[in-house]
Amino acid sequence: MISKKLRLAMATSVVVPALALGACAKKDSSANNADPATKAKADTSVSGKIVVSGSSTVEPITALVREDFIAQNGNVDISVDGPGTGDGFKLFCNGETDISDASRPIKDEEAQACVDTGVEFIELKIGIDGISVIAPEASPVKCLSFADLYALVGPESEGFTKWTDAEPLAKQLGSNTSFPDANLVITAPGTESGTYDSFVELVIESVGKTRVKDGKIAEDKIGATRADYSASPDDNSIIEGVASDPGGLGWVGFAFADQAEGLKLMPITKDPGGTCVEPSSATIQDGSYPISRSLYIYVNKAKAEQNKALAAFIDFYLDGLDGFVEAADYIPLEDSSTTKSLWTARTVGTQQG
Amino acid sequence: MSIDTTQTAPRPTPPTAPASASQAVSTQIESRRRDLASSAFQLMLIASLMIVLAALLATLASVAPGGLEVLRSRGVADFIQRPFSIRPQQTGVYQGIVGTVTSALIVTLVAFPLGLASAIWIEEYAGDTRISRLINVVIRNLAGVPAIVYGLLGYAIFVAGPFKSITGGRSVLSAGLTLSVLVLPIVIITSAEAIRAVPSSLRDGGYAMGATRWQVTRTLVLPNAIGGILTGTILGLARALGEAAPLILIGAKQSGFSAGNWGDLTGDFTALPVLISDWPTRPVSQWDGVTQALILVTLVIILGINAAGIVLRNRFTDKD
Repeated sequence: MISKKLRLAMATSVVVPALALGACAKKDSSANNADPATKAKADTSVSGKIVVSGSSTVEPITALVREDFIAQNGNVDISVDGPGTGDGFKLFCNGETDISDASRPIKDEEAQACVDTGVEFIELKIGIDGISVIAPEASPVKCLSFADLYALVGPESEGFTKWTDAEPLAKQLGSNTSFPDANLVITAPGTESGTYDSFVELVIESVGKTRVKDGKIAEDKIGATRADYSASPDDNSIIEGVASDPGGLGWVGFAFADQAEGLKLMPITKDPGGTCVEPSSATIQDGSYPISRSLYIYVNKAKAEQNKALAAFIDFYLDGLDGFVEAADYIPLEDSSTTKSLWTARTVGTQQG
Repeated sequence: MSIDTTQTAPRPTPPTAPASASQAVSTQIESRRRDLASSAFQLMLIASLMIVLAALLATLASVAPGGLEVLRSRGVADFIQRPFSIRPQQTGVYQGIVGTVTSALIVTLVAFPLGLASAIWIEEYAGDTRISRLINVVIRNLAGVPAIVYGLLGYAIFVAGPFKSITGGRSVLSAGLTLSVLVLPIVIITSAEAIRAVPSSLRDGGYAMGATRWQVTRTLVLPNAIGGILTGTILGLARALGEAAPLILIGAKQSGFSAGNWGDLTGDFTALPVLISDWPTRPVSQWDGVTQALILVTLVIILGINAAGIVLRNRFTDKD
């Protein structure tokens, strides 16, 4: 039988640390209300509910806008979530959400789903995210071309276990980069991620097309990387995986890579022998860094007309757009006037060519 | 529980035993070989315990310094009273605490009575028929079904299914009900074992006095089994509170949202394990400390809920 004393001890062992922690509490709340990211003014006359879902890449921006908005107008109930661009569009076209965050433009079949359910959307480009190719800080590699990346992680690289294994293929593609004599350890996002899709579309497919023309590979193979690498949905574990091996290689969003320690953000050139460009806010914004993608929000037009709070929220979003995008560590658009006029005119449909 | 301590006391040598026999026994007991084997066994047991403790302590040691630092500089009150914020220096676990404690209450209110009633039926009323044996096997299998499957089930029934108008869809009520279904098999199995452990002579005595089955169950079986039954409920509750995967499927929020206050059963919600699965995916350099603080708070709260359950159980079992 457990004695009463022992029981008392057990109960106190739970309560005492909690109290002890509480006793340490500083009652200073001055640091708690951080300055808003921008000077944008929220319409304080509106109230209502706004539901946002979609890309986990864009979520930090929208979450920031939400917080600064409700700090000025607490009568609007806004919920943000980030299950992924694709999942977001499913909810959006079902009419379950008012805004869908996206780290890529809407796909044809997704747009068709919206047409089927009668959801008209306004596509607003809000910022840019570079994709950084990463290696450990001590890596001897100075620069990689798209051809090198294709040779290292493309569909034809399956089975390469050392960097040097990829050299013949890179040579065939016109590159003369010399690879280190190290194990090739790739850690990168999995196929469910928007970062993976963008990397494949921008890098692998552009090189793969010439390989298809030359009859070296079937066309349906170039829409993917090699399958034998360790995939992770978590950017932090990708960074850790790459940094911890001398032969590490991977790719993540610039916002994440830029803040990490022990990494080399690889300078990239589109064509072998071209100018190598390191990712930075400036090179991503002016487009000289070749692996970048645009970030979007999609707004349900009908709901924006019915729900004054939703319209006020988008007004607020675009009013402080560059400040919000920068505060969330992404790159602002060079010129956001197109986005603003699309919203003012409530132009429906995708702006992709 | 009260029997344990008396059994460990060494048994005195029976005084009537012949001297030679008692000598043989004592040499057997004190012989070196015997001694070696038993101390090796004891060592092994202690080593096992150490490994278990080491894992727990390693977890604590890795989160405690950073977590305590955040709690000290921010203040515990501040950290547990603030909702989620995308700014790590402002974020808090208020909505997570509300979600976890509320679902704990729902699980206790739903799974405990249902599980207990099922266990009583199986042990006291069903008898040993083919159907009752089949039900037993099914329940045991259900206890091993992955949590994510219960998440799917909960989504189909409580979020999108027939109960949507009651639960409000993606709500803490749906989450609590799903977790209740998840732990029911555990509660049923442990309760049934506790009921089975009540000696049948007790029941026979009751029946011999002319008591009905309900009277026997209520006055003889349950009072003697209540300790084990509550232990099972506490185990089930602990499992429910640690689950993140089914809640994410139900729609627990992993970013900023406005709802999540006490008593709001049908609005948006989140829970502590869900936050623990989300925060480590955010930029490490900024979210490290608050994530460690979050883990500490979660440990204290789950420990607190379990401790409350244990105190309650001991209150019940003290009566005899």
